[in-house]
Amino acid sequence: MSEMWQDAMVAAFREMASRGVLFLPKLMALVTFLLLGLAIGWLVKVSLMRILNVVRFEVFCERMGLTPALTKAGMKQQIPHLVGRLAFWIVFLFFAFMGVDALDLPATANLMSAILGFLPDVIAAILVALLGILLANFTGEAVLIAAVNAQIHGARFIANMVRWGVVIFTVAMVLTQLGIAKEIVVAAFSIIFGGIVLAMAIALGLGGRSIAKEVLERRFGREKSRDEFTHI
Amino acid sequence: MGETVWEQVQEQCSDVRKVDLVVALPSFNQASTVVPVVHTIVAGLKSAFGHASILFLNADVGSQDGTPDLVRQTVGDLLPFASIRPNTEGMSGSTFALNRFSYSGMPAREEAFRSVFAVTRRLQAGACIVLDPSVRSVTAEWVSLLAHPILEKGADYVAPVFNRQRYEGSLTNNLIAPLTRALYGKRVACQIGGGYGFSQKLSTFFLESEALWEGDAGRFSIDSWVTTVAVAEGYEVWQACLGAKVQDIKAGAADISTSLAQAVGATFHYMERYQDIWEKQVGSEEVPIVGHPIEIDMESVPIQVERMLKGFRQGLRDLLPIWEVILAPDTLAGVLELGLRDDEEFRFPLPLWVQTVYDFAVAYHEKVIHREHLLKSLMPLYLGRTASVVLETKGGGPGLVQDTVEHGCQTFEAMKPYLIDRWRFQ
Repeated sequence: MSEMWQDAMVAAFREMASRGVLFLPKLMALVTFLLLGLAIGWLVKVSLMRILNVVRFEVFCERMGLTPALTKAGMKQQIPHLVGRLAFWIVFLFFAFMGVDALDLPATANLMSAILGFLPDVIAAILVALLGILLANFTGEAVLIAAVNAQIHGARFIANMVRWGVVIFTVAMVLTQLGIAKEIVVAAFSIIFGGIVLAMAIALGLGGRSIAKEVLERRFGREKSRDEFTHI
Repeated sequence: MGETVWEQVQEQCSDVRKVDLVVALPSFNQASTVVPVVHTIVAGLKSAFGHASILFLNADVGSQDGTPDLVRQTVGDLLPFASIRPNTEGMSGSTFALNRFSYSGMPAREEAFRSVFAVTRRLQAGACIVLDPSVRSVTAEWVSLLAHPILEKGADYVAPVFNRQRYEGSLTNNLIAPLTRALYGKRVACQIGGGYGFSQKLSTFFLESEALWEGDAGRFSIDSWVTTVAVAEGYEVWQACLGAKVQDIKAGAADISTSLAQAVGATFHYMERYQDIWEKQVGSEEVPIVGHPIEIDMESVPIQVERMLKGFRQGLRDLLPIWEVILAPDTLAGVLELGLRDDEEFRFPLPLWVQTVYDFAVAYHEKVIHREHLLKSLMPLYLGRTASVVLETKGGGPGLVQDTVEHGCQTFEAMKPYLIDRWRFQ
């Protein structure tokens, strides 16, 4: 009895020890990947921030209206810093997933390939979002200035409508790119956009007739009270 | 491009190798006005340059109404004539180019000028004069007023000056001319269109300076930069008083903000190119002038001051976030105060206006926002200043308007250190 108990204990210990010996290199691989991720991520972050500072990316973002848009949204950090941090986390997560993959756990099998497969969509979505914000600010600003110079009432409202129209369009594109509830997004986008257009048409028909008249008169030059002198 | 144009000239005038004077007519759909203009020019040439060798050149950028044929028929055998078609790269028919027209409403006007310069150089002409076929008030005298200073007095460039009604050319008088004078030290009126005279030396310089023709300013607003470049490069600049200018197309009438962006944008653009020159320039001097004495017409065209003030106040309300980025804090505070004044008491102080223009120049240089947005956002401030000038001089004689313009020029000169400081240390 005692011998059997002893054998069972030894077998269990040996099994545990052999599993431990087999798992330890994987754990060390995980730790190594994490450390490498930290180091390389930091290196990428610092290099990227320096490059962005050299090419005056912050000035470019300021000019394109991205910095003010992010400030309004509560982001206090400079954009090169944000991009640097984003790059750090992408690199770190990349290494972390490699480490988790190295553990060879049944629950995390194929995790890396799944993430790598999804990564292009995420990068594309980030780029679309970035371009969308830039385009929204640019068109909003252009419309605002043009409307003010044409002395159209509600210039800021029109500019905001254009800006938010582009933002909504961008959000729909980002979600579609990420494959998140594609059908719902398309339907929601159609409803929201169609609703806005319908609301504008009704508002213009009911309450904005004078604005429409003013704009059309201006457009087709029927306004009599225009200054006759040349500015140039 | 020069070679292609030259080949076109050779095909039509194979015996013309060298001339004294090139008379050029850049055109685009001007059939309604071109015939009397050509008659007048030919008469002027016959009386003033009867013994000189001349080439009459029509640079047409794609008229659909038979303008080149009309010019050819009108010139007939009276003078050697060539009609050329500059390469416009489809500009004439491009919808996207609509807002890129020069002030005259003519697409690819710059290419027409460039072709004229190329022919002038090939023919080793002593001078080249360029006249607008849309100006109905052209007289035979214009030809000699534009060409004589170059052929006989050693001038390189003759700029036009016209008699105007008292508030005409408000942007030129309140911004472009004072700024050009303060920057480059020459008292030129900076009026545009109608007619210009160029020496062969200056034509060759324009032709060989590729960088001048690049960018929006270079490609779309030659009338706005040709004087600036001639002055900044130190060429011998003269002015010719040509009398009245009656033109079919009222410059800037279609879209003032686009005209403003083109004219002011061209001035700011060349400030970057000529920074070394204008930073050293102190004071200003008159340039030689020929022709009739300048007269300011007491008659004033209808001016809607209330409308201008409404435009200014709307800008103050809606464009403030943009102006906050462009204007220095002191300037912005001064502009904000203006919003509190009643219509009759409204005054846009001259020093504040000068500071505003200089802040915009610095912001353009620093590219703080998209440049076209920046230039167009100046429009409400310009309306405010123009309304102020009208209110300040209301009831006064023509001398008062002239004094106001002159005072503006002096203030631009006096406040130039502000510009230099901000330009260098922003």
